[in-house]
Amino acid sequence: MVNYIYDSSFEGLLTAIYESYYSDKPPEHILPDRYVQQQLLCENIQIVTCEQKADKVYHAILKKISSYALRHTYYAFLSEKQDISTTLYHYLRLGFKVGKDIDRYLIDENVRCVHDISRKVGFERHRMLGLLRFRQVGTDNYYASFEPDYNITALIAPHFTKRLSDQNWIIHDMKRNIGAIYKKDTKAWIISDMMAYQPIHDISHEKMFQEMWKTYFNSIAIEAKQNAKLQRQFMPQRYWKHLIEKQ
Amino acid sequence: METMIKLKILADAAKYDVSCSSSGSSRANTPDGIGNAHLAGICHSWADDGRCISLLKILFTNECIYNCAYCVNKITSDVPRATFTPEEVAMLTISFYRRNYIEGLFLSSAVYKSPDYTMELMIGAVKLLRETHRFNGYIHMKGIPGANASLIKLAGLYVDRMSINIELPSNNSLQLLAPQKKKEHIVGSMGFLQSSITEAKENRKHFKKAPAFVPAGQTTQLIVGATPEPDLNILTLSENLYKRFEMKRVYYSGYIPAVEHPNLPSIFTTPPRLREHRLYQADWLLRFYHFRSSELLDDKNPNFDVNLDPKCDWALRHLESFPVEVNTAEYETLLRVPGIGVTSAKKILSARKVQSLTYEHLKKMRVVLKRAQYFITCKGKYYGKVDLNESLIRECITYENMCSSGHLATGEQLSIYTCMRQTPQNIS
Ligand code: SF4
Repeated sequence: MVNYIYDSSFEGLLTAIYESYYSDKPPEHILPDRYVQQQLLCENIQIVTCEQKADKVYHAILKKISSYALRHTYYAFLSEKQDISTTLYHYLRLGFKVGKDIDRYLIDENVRCVHDISRKVGFERHRMLGLLRFRQVGTDNYYASFEPDYNITALIAPHFTKRLSDQNWIIHDMKRNIGAIYKKDTKAWIISDMMAYQPIHDISHEKMFQEMWKTYFNSIAIEAKQNAKLQRQFMPQRYWKHLIEKQ
Repeated sequence: METMIKLKILADAAKYDVSCSSSGSSRANTPDGIGNAHLAGICHSWADDGRCISLLKILFTNECIYNCAYCVNKITSDVPRATFTPEEVAMLTISFYRRNYIEGLFLSSAVYKSPDYTMELMIGAVKLLRETHRFNGYIHMKGIPGANASLIKLAGLYVDRMSINIELPSNNSLQLLAPQKKKEHIVGSMGFLQSSITEAKENRKHFKKAPAFVPAGQTTQLIVGATPEPDLNILTLSENLYKRFEMKRVYYSGYIPAVEHPNLPSIFTTPPRLREHRLYQADWLLRFYHFRSSELLDDKNPNFDVNLDPKCDWALRHLESFPVEVNTAEYETLLRVPGIGVTSAKKILSARKVQSLTYEHLKKMRVVLKRAQYFITCKGKYYGKVDLNESLIRECITYENMCSSGHLATGEQLSIYTCMRQTPQNIS
């Protein structure tokens, strides 16, 4: 049995897919290095990420399959689920066989799995567009922390670039310790490592606005219709830590 | 008065308003501005009653000169009163928006001094937001019926959506409970809004720079269960509102008794939650499934069966059109199958192009078959738990609904024990 191990980057995954087509040892599993365990009877082949090869696969998906399939692939990849790379490998192999019809193969387990996970990632992305909370840490500076299930920081940053373009902001994924940093002067954002990030204090009137928001939140509910179950269903408890109104 | 106290009073006073959606507009940000509108709308939080919070929903003031029987803010009611300034409304909106608490503003109001005076104050706030703060987020503003057309026209240039509430399902009820509101004013303002929206759309086809006017359209709201009109009247009214005024939405607000009044249900009546829910489902069928109100209800059945969703109820009364074959049925036909919605219908259409579908396939594709099983065939084969017979299917579905939700139509909790005892004998 042969496993391909890649460096956990999307380019790495695409490189692994590329290699699978040119190797006489097709992989049983494709795994990001963070999940690797040495197993008996298993040969691990380390894939060296190569931008050109990744690029070729990227464009081949666009041209021979579809932009939808590429999006599904990327979203599913961001789920960081343990076996998703192997599932994506089967998904794309089928894709290169049947072309743009791939997403009609809803009865194929791999297709369904990719769709499901990609939908979950997309759903969390949409949810976070609403649930992210900024606090003011300087005249024009705002900071938001969150702990999403999936690696969606780069998926939500463009939305805030358009919407909150006249303020500087940081979106900090505390789980992965990465962040999107946006500067209003350049109107550009980058993903950055946040290991060395030093928390900045809120400005003095920040507390007042948070209190106002809580007041609003409590006043707008109809007591006769209390429904905590429904509330938790839409706004799962694991997100509450970063929600001002739930503190 | 402190802004915080005003906020408490005026959010509390706005909470019975049910429309909150922030969808339908795609206003873009400007280079030096803040905000944009997201076409599909975004929910930012969920209140303790489970409702989505998308907009900062407040009244400009709750000091009212009218005396609508059902309303907590009526002139004769003893509640704390407050009035915002336009600056306060703008400041709250911007500060909340910058922190991503909200998608924008929903500004409603009681009638303060006069309809015109109230509208002017509200316009002051939205003008400040758009012009001084260069705010490009979503704004929904309530139109005050009876306000001068020129004010409605002016407000429409600043807001994304406007709504004028129809309030009650019949003119009789309106006269009885809200005598100062005139049907002519309400309908007149709606008509004026609609023609202005159409005109602005036409203009924008010819001149790109022509100003936008209420780009997310108009909506309205009515109270269900405060007055005796049956579902049939309500649904027919909605159908006409959609047709005549091109309403984007009609919202139904199940009456929550808050005041004692001889012409209103007693304070101890439970809010008609399930009925409200059935009306929303039926409304959905009108808007997206091409049903007509006369298909769903008639003089013999003027009210929905609260135990069944309206589509299911309809299908059971029209078993002659079923079962349908999933591999050949047209999209519109699939949509009429109970339990099959837009997503499932599209999935079926897409998947059957590469493969003829079996019942197992549908399961794998996660088409929900709990109800659909009785109304379809797959490659000619019927999979319903019981034969195609109205009363048998009705019993099965009602029973399953009760078991899975643990609720009776009245909203009463069912214990597992009562649920088991009521097992119909003929379920195989
Ligand atoms: S106009 Fe009627 S419904 Fe509106 S606030 Fe005044 S009393 Fe209440």
